[in-house]
Amino acid sequence: MTPIIEAPGETVDPRAGTNEEHRKKLERAWSRPGRIFGFFTATTHTAIGMRYIITAFAFFLAGGIEALLMRTQLAFSNNHFLSADRYNQIFTTHGTTMMFLFAVPMMEGMAVYLVPLMLGTRNVAFPRLNAFGYYMFLFGGLLLYAGVLTNTGPDVGWFAYPPLSGPQYSPGKRVDIWAQMITFTEISALCVATELIATILKMRAPRMSLNRLPLYCWSMLIQSFMVIFAMPAVMVASTIMLLLDRTVATHFVNPAAGGDPLLYQHVFWFFGHPEVYIIFIPALGFVSSIVEAHTRRGVFGYPAMVLALAGTAFIGFGLWVHHMFATGLPQIGESFFTAASMMIAITSGIQIFCWLATIWTGRVRMHTPMYFVLGFIFIFVMGGLTGVMLASVPLDWQVHDTFFVVAHFHYVLIGGAVFPLFGAFHYWYPKMTGRMMNETLGKIEFWILFIGFNMTFFPMHILGLKGMTRRIYTYPPEMGWDNANALATVGAYIIAIGGILFIANVLSSRKTGAPAGRNPWDAGTLEWAADSPPPPYNFEYLPVAAGRYTMWAPAEARAVVTGMRDDRREVLVTSIMDAEPQHRLVLPGSSFWPFLTALLVGGGFVGTVFGFNWYYPTAVAAGVGLIGWFWPKAPRDLRP
Amino acid sequence: MIQKTLDVSELPPFSVSNDDPLWWGQMLMGVIEVMLFAIMIAMYFYIRLSVDMWPLPGDQLPHKLLPTLALVPLALSFPAAWVASEGAKQDNRGKMLAGLGLNLALAGAFLAMRIVEWHSFNFEWKADIFGSVTWTILGLHTADIIGDMGFTLVLFVIVLTGKYAQKQRLGVHVDSIVWYLVAGAWFPMYVVIYWGPTLVGAPR
Repeated sequence: MTPIIEAPGETVDPRAGTNEEHRKKLERAWSRPGRIFGFFTATTHTAIGMRYIITAFAFFLAGGIEALLMRTQLAFSNNHFLSADRYNQIFTTHGTTMMFLFAVPMMEGMAVYLVPLMLGTRNVAFPRLNAFGYYMFLFGGLLLYAGVLTNTGPDVGWFAYPPLSGPQYSPGKRVDIWAQMITFTEISALCVATELIATILKMRAPRMSLNRLPLYCWSMLIQSFMVIFAMPAVMVASTIMLLLDRTVATHFVNPAAGGDPLLYQHVFWFFGHPEVYIIFIPALGFVSSIVEAHTRRGVFGYPAMVLALAGTAFIGFGLWVHHMFATGLPQIGESFFTAASMMIAITSGIQIFCWLATIWTGRVRMHTPMYFVLGFIFIFVMGGLTGVMLASVPLDWQVHDTFFVVAHFHYVLIGGAVFPLFGAFHYWYPKMTGRMMNETLGKIEFWILFIGFNMTFFPMHILGLKGMTRRIYTYPPEMGWDNANALATVGAYIIAIGGILFIANVLSSRKTGAPAGRNPWDAGTLEWAADSPPPPYNFEYLPVAAGRYTMWAPAEARAVVTGMRDDRREVLVTSIMDAEPQHRLVLPGSSFWPFLTALLVGGGFVGTVFGFNWYYPTAVAAGVGLIGWFWPKAPRDLRP
Repeated sequence: MIQKTLDVSELPPFSVSNDDPLWWGQMLMGVIEVMLFAIMIAMYFYIRLSVDMWPLPGDQLPHKLLPTLALVPLALSFPAAWVASEGAKQDNRGKMLAGLGLNLALAGAFLAMRIVEWHSFNFEWKADIFGSVTWTILGLHTADIIGDMGFTLVLFVIVLTGKYAQKQRLGVHVDSIVWYLVAGAWFPMYVVIYWGPTLVGAPR
């Protein structure tokens, strides 16, 4: 063990502004070039993370507008506000946007921003890969919306089942654009997953052994492993089965030549179900962080929480067939997947009870983030209950593909992920901007969103039980669905008001919010040791972990790392289990190559929508980009 | 004020070993590829079980001779990759060049034999599902082999020019690890594609 020694305060003092020269050198080493060109060379995690967050939020707004269009169309019977074809494109784009362009990238972006800060390091392990992943996500999103704006938006539902999505029933380029957009976003998610695992396992602050890892970092570690094992499946489904069938006439989903459309469903949902947990597990990490800070105690049952997270991830891979109960499966399969689906309630329940115990035994402070956490617990439990109902095959057969299912997954996804996310925005906004958000407005936002949400989605349970199927663009008045639909539409506009208030709060607080300081919530984890907003190097001196909650440890127990060079981008590599320092590591600086590589590869992928042969120049372009990226840059890469 | 410090100035600025985060990065990239192949194999069996005849009427099973012979250079490429990786750890330029060069030659031989073999197939990917799944597995794996050969070649050139330091040596080390995964993944796929149809489940 490297000894911790006591040094006089004149040379090392982690308080701000005490060692100006040290800070200036760090600033020089970690800044990117200015102007427009420099913008595309950024590789610090705070810059890339913020771009992820802003871009994903823009797509969230686009998805929200699509939702409003759909609700307007469904507000009353025999409505012709949208045509059937336009409605098909809009519901598909809404689902695709929310899953692939908002939920996953938003969770990844928050992690890219927060995880290195929480670990007490200066960047992610692979900064250029991080930038590359962001640009791939951005270009994939632009591809989808280029299609939507040219009346080539996908119109086959967000999971694009064949035979409807196959070459026979969906001529044109709508499905191809959807399938290749998946490739962009999956590459992006895989980049982030890889770098987060390497960062969490190898770049933690000294003494931050795995059992001291903040629960949010645990949730991202587990989520990243899920991404690694789940995302290849969707690539097989969309890029191989669907796109190859459509562009080079393979027969994966063509029963006439031995293919099987049901196989597509298996492969898609082998990704699709874990995808729900990929979105939801980071949100559980947000909840733990917020609850800890707002009760000012460590979460109750830390080992149980970690095991429950890991258990959720494992079980999440054994549930996919419950999306396919209506396809006529062997009974033994149905029983197995019913049991597995019900099991997930155990791991989720453990976490809910641990949070309740934490809140019960802590000193609760009711700030806006805590409101969103309590809203999450209420809504998510309701979504979980309908989930247990849907796990039962007879009920699933009855309400399959109805609005009951729509209600269920909006309760778990908005309740389980978006409410914690809004809590997280309010909670970490002071860290990201240096100013507090308006508390009164925050609480008003919460109540509007909470009421609007329940008004929109609760009636859908009833509509589903009354037989209203998903994805119909209108309905005759005799069905008796008008009232519940009208209520849901009013609710949707109330949600929109809540969203507008949130944006207003974000924008106005940036100018007028009270200065936050380093640790406005008096929270325990290391991101609160950095300035708000963090400088590009995050910490003047890297912190040493003193227990699970370093910021709550007494001052005499805390220490900082010295001996790191400040004239280049050095980080500390530590051991996997106990985080003992192993060696220093020089990270690459600003680079234009990630942007250029993403541009070349992205352009090639757009070409593959039109012909398979585009893969060849794409591969060459990727090779050129990666060689330029890797080629040694003297003197940085060639001196010890 | 007295501040406790942990001095790390004595620690090396680089480590050419599995301790570097890059080892995890490359390992995980390899896991992603292997997962892709695992799903393809699962698909292969799923399709196999859903049809009566395998291969489908009109298709001939690929011959076993050439792909079996091709396993020899592939197996020999493992020790070659290992030599390169050891050379990188020991900062031994000769070992690195020998390992990388031998690895390239052996991988090239494997690739050439595979491409020759393709000419003997009597089925296209457009023919039926047997053709589609077989060609896709072969195509994906070939893309990986070519990709990793590309990087091995780049590293070979870098080491040859002598303009390298710890960071590039680390590249050589992790390149070997990717090769173990990419080349190693072929053995189970070889058994599935070439022996599976004759060993298990004769045509129903």
